[in-house]
Amino acid sequence: MTNPDILIVGAGHNGLVAAAYLAQAGRKVLVLEQRATAGGQLAGATLASGAVVPGLHPAGQLRPAIVKELDLARHGLATSAADTAYVSALPEGGSLRLVSNANDTSTIDAIHRLSPCDAARWPEFVGFMNRASAFMDAAYATTMPRLPKIELRADGLPLASLALKLRRMGGKDMFRVMRSLSMSAVEFTEEWFESEPLNAAIAGVAIHGVTLGSMSAGTGFTLIHNWLNRGGLAHRTVTGGPQALTDALLKAVHTNGGEVRTGADVAQILVEHQRVLGVQLTSGEEIRASTVLSSADPRRTLLGLVGAPELPPEFVWQTQSIRMRGSVAKVFVQTDSHHGLPEGTVAIAPTLKYLERAYDSTKYGELSQHPYLEVTTSGAEVAVHFQFATYALRHGDWNSMRPELERRAIDTLGLHFPSFKGSVQSVQSVTPVDLEQSWGLTEGDLNHGQLILDQIFFMRPLPGWSNHRTPVDGLYLCGSGMHGGGGIGGHPGRNAARMLLRGQG
Amino acid sequence: MARAAKAIKPIIGLVPPDPSSLSWRDMKGLLKLGQYAHSLSEHELYRIAKLVTQSSADLLEEWFELDPLKGTKAASGIIGTYLGPRSPGTAYVLLHHYMGEIDGAFRAWGFAKNGTGGVTAAIASSARALGVEIRTNAAVDKVIVRGGRAAGVALANGDELSATVVMSAADPKRSFLQFVDQQHFPDEFVQAIRNFRVRGSSGKINIALSGLPDFNCLPGEGPLHRGAISISPSIEYVERAYDDAKYGNFSRQPYMDIIFPSMIDRDMAPPGHHVMSCFVQYAPYDVAGGWDDAKKDAFGETVIATIEKYAPNIRKVIVGKQVITPQDIERIAGITGGNIFHGELLLHQLFFMRPAPQWADFRTPLSGYYFGAAGAHPGGGVMGAAGKMAATEILKDWQ
Amino acid sequence: MPELSAVHHPLYQLRRTPFHARTSQLCLPHNWRRWGGCIAVGSYDLGLDREYWAIRNHAALIDISPLIKYEITGRDAARLLHRLTPRDIHRMQVGQVYYTGWCDDDGKLLDDGTVTRIGEQSFRLTAAEPQFRWLALNAVGMQVQITELTERLAALSLQGPKSRTILNLACEQPVDSLKYFRMAFNRVAGKAVSVSRTGYTGDLGYEIWMDAEDALVIWDTLLAAGHDYGITPTGILAMDMARVEAGLFMLDVDYTPASHAWIPGQRSSPYEMGLGWTVNLDKQGYFVGRRALEREHREGSSWKMVGLEIDWEGLEREYAAVGMPPQVPATAVRGSIPVYAGPRQVGYASTSTWSPVLKKYIALVHVQQPFHAPGTKVEIEVTVEHHRRKSPATVVALPFYDPEWKKK
Ligand SMILES: Cc1cc2nc3c(=O)[nH]c(=O)nc-3n(C[C@H](O)[C@H](O)[C@H](O)COP(=O)(O)OP(=O)(O)OC[C@H]3O[C@@H](n4cnc5c(N)ncnc54)[C@H](O)[C@@H]3O)c2cc1C
Ligand SMILES: Cc1cc2nc3c(=O)[nH]c(=O)nc-3n(C[C@H](O)[C@H](O)[C@H](O)COP(=O)(O)OP(=O)(O)OC[C@H]3O[C@@H](n4cnc5c(N)ncnc54)[C@H](O)[C@@H]3O)c2cc1C
Repeated sequence: MTNPDILIVGAGHNGLVAAAYLAQAGRKVLVLEQRATAGGQLAGATLASGAVVPGLHPAGQLRPAIVKELDLARHGLATSAADTAYVSALPEGGSLRLVSNANDTSTIDAIHRLSPCDAARWPEFVGFMNRASAFMDAAYATTMPRLPKIELRADGLPLASLALKLRRMGGKDMFRVMRSLSMSAVEFTEEWFESEPLNAAIAGVAIHGVTLGSMSAGTGFTLIHNWLNRGGLAHRTVTGGPQALTDALLKAVHTNGGEVRTGADVAQILVEHQRVLGVQLTSGEEIRASTVLSSADPRRTLLGLVGAPELPPEFVWQTQSIRMRGSVAKVFVQTDSHHGLPEGTVAIAPTLKYLERAYDSTKYGELSQHPYLEVTTSGAEVAVHFQFATYALRHGDWNSMRPELERRAIDTLGLHFPSFKGSVQSVQSVTPVDLEQSWGLTEGDLNHGQLILDQIFFMRPLPGWSNHRTPVDGLYLCGSGMHGGGGIGGHPGRNAARMLLRGQG
Repeated sequence: MARAAKAIKPIIGLVPPDPSSLSWRDMKGLLKLGQYAHSLSEHELYRIAKLVTQSSADLLEEWFELDPLKGTKAASGIIGTYLGPRSPGTAYVLLHHYMGEIDGAFRAWGFAKNGTGGVTAAIASSARALGVEIRTNAAVDKVIVRGGRAAGVALANGDELSATVVMSAADPKRSFLQFVDQQHFPDEFVQAIRNFRVRGSSGKINIALSGLPDFNCLPGEGPLHRGAISISPSIEYVERAYDDAKYGNFSRQPYMDIIFPSMIDRDMAPPGHHVMSCFVQYAPYDVAGGWDDAKKDAFGETVIATIEKYAPNIRKVIVGKQVITPQDIERIAGITGGNIFHGELLLHQLFFMRPAPQWADFRTPLSGYYFGAAGAHPGGGVMGAAGKMAATEILKDWQ
Repeated sequence: MPELSAVHHPLYQLRRTPFHARTSQLCLPHNWRRWGGCIAVGSYDLGLDREYWAIRNHAALIDISPLIKYEITGRDAARLLHRLTPRDIHRMQVGQVYYTGWCDDDGKLLDDGTVTRIGEQSFRLTAAEPQFRWLALNAVGMQVQITELTERLAALSLQGPKSRTILNLACEQPVDSLKYFRMAFNRVAGKAVSVSRTGYTGDLGYEIWMDAEDALVIWDTLLAAGHDYGITPTGILAMDMARVEAGLFMLDVDYTPASHAWIPGQRSSPYEMGLGWTVNLDKQGYFVGRRALEREHREGSSWKMVGLEIDWEGLEREYAAVGMPPQVPATAVRGSIPVYAGPRQVGYASTSTWSPVLKKYIALVHVQQPFHAPGTKVEIEVTVEHHRRKSPATVVALPFYDPEWKKK
C-alpha cells in the first residue's frame, strides 16, 4: 500500500478490530505485524527453541456489537450459544461439573450434593454475574475520559449513560457490583457460598491470567472481567477454533480495502517535536503516516518503539511503573488420547488456600510447587494453562526451568487424573520468556498490563491517558493495555477506532 | 504523600453520600464530592485514585529501591489490616497513617503524656465540663426499641435507661447484631454487617525492662529509644509475615513497631527501668488451634526471639512481660474480632460502604439509633472524626 | 552500654564544608546558617557592612561548597542536558557556561543552576536542590553517567572588582582572557582547579572549583594573594544583599519549585521569572516543558518578576507621621510583602533589602499583568510601628545594579 492514512502496529485481534473499523470508514489502513502470522495471541508460533506451538487461547468472545458492526458472521464467524462445562477436580477425588446457566439442573444437583444452601443460591449468583458482566461490557464500550477534564458532549454523555445504567441496576445490585470489584475472590465467593470446592472453582476463574491470589483485593473484579470474556466460567467455543476469529477479522479488513503485512517488525515509531511521522521497520524501511495506532503493549510501544528521550519524564516514570508481571505458562501435551480427562474446561483449583499458595510463589520468584491449572482438550491434544510461572525467576532462568515446569504440570494433572501420565507422548511448553520473545509481550504479560485495581478503567494504561492518546500527537494505543483490555473482547480496538473516527484524534 | 494526605483529608471529613439514592441530602453530598474532585488538580485526583487502589509495595517500588526504606514504609500500610504489603488497597492504609495532625503540624504523630489514655481522659473531662455524664462499668446489653424507634438501653445488670437518641460507639457487630434484635433491621443490612470483616491481626507485647536494650544497628542509648523502632527490614519480610497469618498462624518473624513510653514519660517506670511496648503483626484472631496459654507463650517467645536478633541483650534486661492477642483486645477493649480499627480497612469497607452500603451516614435503619465509631467512616485511629460527624448528624435530625 | 548522645550521631549532624577548619576560626559571632545540609557562615562580623563592601569594592571570598553539583558524562551527556533544560546545549562550546532553569513538563521551574561544558561528552551541573532522581528519570534510554560531586568538589566564589587581580597572583595561568561565563582549567598552589567567570553577586567575579582535599591550601593561597587587595572572607548574608541588587533570585525564596508547590498557583515559569532569554524554542527536539512553554510564549504570561524601588520620600512620610526616621532592614528580608495598585493587591515582594551601593530600598516583586511595566507606580506594604501602611514605589527593570566591569 502506498501512502497509507493510518498505520497499525500489531495484528492481534485488537489491532485487526481497529483496522477493520477504520477501513470500513474509508481510511487507507496498513497493519504491520512482526510475526509470520496475524492473530497475536490467538495464533501459534515457532519458539526460539524451534518448537512449533499452537495459539494460546482455546476460544474468545468478540463482543456482539463488534461481530454485528463488522459483519463478522458474513466473514465466517460463529460462536456457540451453548454454555461449556467447567469441571473442577475435587481434592478428595471426583469432580464438580458446572455449567454457567441459572437453570442447569445437573449443575444444581452437583452443587446440592455439596450444600443444599449453595444450590439454592446458584441461580441468583449466575443472574448477578451476568448482570455484572453486562455492566462491565457497557463500561468497556465507553472510552474513559481524562479526569477531570470531561468534555461534556464527547465524554459526558456516554459516561452519564453508563452511570445511569449502574443506577438502574438498583441499589442492591449496584452496591454489590461496586463492592465486588474491590473484593478478593475469597471474600466475594464466601459471601455467596459456603462450599469450599465451589468457591475455589469460581476463584480459579478469578485469578486466571492475572498475577494475583485468591486473597488479593481486586480479584472480584477479575472474576467479572473473565466471566464477561468467556461468557461464563468456561469459554464458549468458536466454530473452527480461535483461528476462525482471526480469519474473520482479516477478511473484514481486506474486504474494506485494508492491508495486513506480516513479517513487518516495527523497530521505531518516528517522532519529531512530539508528533508522529511514521514508523521504521527493522529492515530499515520507513513508512510515513500522520496517524499511528499501536496494539503492542504500552511499555513496548512507548519506551521501546518511541523511546523515553522523546517523552516527558513523569510520563516515562509512570510507563516504567506499569505493572506487567507475567506469570502464566502453557504446556501442550500430545497424548495417546487415553488421558482420562473429562470434556470441557478442567480446572485444578481444589481449595481457596491452594490457589493463594500457588500465587505466593510468584512473590518470591519461584515456580508454583502446586500450580493452579486450567486444561482444555481437543482429541488427543491437551493444552494446560499453568499458574503461577513467574517471568522473574529468582534462581535460574527459563531455559533450565522448562523441564521442571512441564514436570509439575504433568504431575499435578496426574494426581487428579491417574491415567494421564501414562498417556503422555510429547510435551511442548511456552514460558513467560517465550511469550515475550515470540509474541512481543513485555515480561510475558498476556494482558499488556496487569489487571489490578489501579490499572483499570480511567487508570488504564495510565492515569490521564485512558483516552487512547499519548504525549505524541498522532500516536494512539489500541491494544489490551487499554481500558476494556485483557482478553479477546475487542473493545480497545473498537474504542480507539471510534474515537479517531469521531474526529477527536 | 503529604500532598496526597492533604487532598484526601476533606473527604475524610465528609459524610459519605449514598450514590444509589436520589434524596436531596445525598445528591448534595455527591455534588460536594464532585465539586471537591473538581477543585483538585488532575495530578492530585489521579494520585488519590491510585492510592486508594494500589498495593503499598507497588507504590513504594515506583519510588524507591532501598529494601529497608521500602519495608518500613510498607509496614505503615498493613497496620491493623489482615493484608500484606503486596495486597491491593494497602497504599490507602499507608496514607491513612500519614494523616495525623498535631498542633497544626500536618501528618505528625505524637505521643500523649500518660499514654493514649491521656487523650481520652482529656476528652472525657471536656465532655463532663459540658454537662455530660459518663458512667463506667455500665455494659449495655440491648437497645430498647419502642414503636420502631430506639428508646433507650438495657444494661447487663438489668438497669434500663430511656432516651430519645441512642448512639453506639461500640463495634458494628455488637452494635447491630447484639444490641438490637434482627427483626428491627432489613435482612440485607443484617447480611451486610455479618459480612463485615473484623478479623484482628495485631498483638501487643508489653515488656518491663531493668535497662534499655542495645540495638546492633545503633549501639548505645540513642535517639532510637526516644522514637519508634520498626522491625521491617524489607517488603518481603513483612509479606512473609503476612503469609503465615493468612493461613492461620502467627508470624514466625513478625513485623514490629516498638516504642519506649518510659523514655517520653519518665514517671512510667522507676529510674533506670523502662517499659517497652511492641505492636506486633501478624497475630490472627482466629489462630489455628485457638489462643491458649501455650500459644500465647509461644507467640511471646517468637517476639522476644525476633527482637533478640536486633538487640542481643534483650533477655538480660527483661523483668516481666504481658502478651496481648486479638482475643485479649476483644475482651479488654470490647471489640468484636479484636481488630484495632473495629473492622478491617478493606476497600469495600470504606467510605460509603462503611459499615454497610447505604448506611454510611451515621444513621441506621432503626430510627433514633446512630452509629459513630471506628467501624464507621472514616475508620479507626485516634482521630475522633466518626464521633464528631455522628454528633453533627444527630443534631441535624434533632431540629 | 557505651553512651552515645544524639548530638554526635552522624544522622543528626549537619555536614561541614571542606573549608570548615578555616571558616570556623573566623566566624566569631557564630552566625551560622543552614545550606544544603551543611552549616555555612552567615557572616564573619556582627554586621554585614564590611563583607558587603568587599563584594562591591574589593574582593569577597565566599565558601559555596554546599551547592549541589553533578558530573554528567557519556555519549548522551549533551542530549540529556538538552532535554532537561530549555537551552540549546548542542550549540554549547567546551569551556562555556550556561545559566539556566529547568522545568517540569508543565513548563514550571523545578530548579536553576549552571551547566558547564567540561569536555565534548562531559558536563558539570549545579543545582540548589538534589536532582538525582529527576536527572535519572530524564536519562532513561540514554547512555550517560550521572555522578554527584557535591561533597567531593569544594568551591569558592571570589567576587568583587579586585577578584581578577588576585586570581592572577594566585593562579599559575593568568585569567585575563577568561570571558564572562567561560571556564578554564588552572592551578593554585600546584593543585588543579577549574575557574569559571561566574557568580551570584552581579559583580566581576569568579568561582573556583577544586578537589575537596585541596580546599585548605587553596583558601590559604588566595587569602595571602589577596591580602593587599582587601580580600575578605564573606558569609552568605552579604551575598544575599548583593544578589538582590543583581536581580538574581533564589529557589524557595523567590520562587517555589514545582516539586514543592502545594497548589498549582504557587509554581512559576521561566518566563515569569525573567528567564525568557534562556528558553530556546527554536532548538531541535523535545525538551521537558516544551509544549507548555510554547503556549506561554504565544499567549503571554500573567505574572512577572520585576524590580521595585521604594520611594524614599514616601517612606519618610509614613515614618514621620509617628515621629521616626525611616527604618530599613540591615539584611535581605525573605518574606512575602503585599504590593498594591490602588486598593487592589497586584503582587508581592519575595525578597527586599536596603541597597548600600544604590542607597535605595529595593525588592524583587512578582506582579500581575499589566503592572509589571517599568515605571508603573504601585504601593508596597510597610509596617510602621506595628501598623500596616502603604508606601509608594516604582517598578523598575532588573538588575538594579550592573557595574560596567562585570562583563569586561
Ligand atoms: C493462556 C492465556 C490465557 C489468558 N487468559 C485471559 C483471561 O483469563 N482473561 C483475560 O482478560 N485475558 C486473558 N488472556 C489475555 C488475552 O489473550 C489478551 O489480552 C489478548 O489476546 C490481547 O490481544 P491484543 O490484540 O490486544 O494483543 P496481542 O494479541 O498481544 O497482539 C499484539 C500484536 O502486536 C505484535 N507486535 C508487538 N510488537 C510489534 C512490533 N514492534 N512490530 C510489529 N508487531 C508487533 C505482536 O506480535 C502481536 O501480534 C490470556 C492470554 C493467554 C495467552
Ligand atoms: C494495640 C492497638 C494499637 C493501636 N495503635 C494505634 C495508633 O498508633 N494510632 C492510632 O491512631 N490508632 C491506633 N489504634 C486504633 C485506635 O485505638 C482505635 O481505632 C480507636 O481507639 C477507636 O476509637 P473508638 O472510639 O471508635 O472505639 P473504642 O476506643 O474501641 O471505644 C469503644 C468503647 O465502647 C465500649 N463498649 C463496647 N461494648 C460495650 C457495651 N456493650 N456496653 C458499653 N460499652 C461498650 C468499649 O469498652 C470501648 O470503651 C490502635 C489500637 C490498638 C488496639
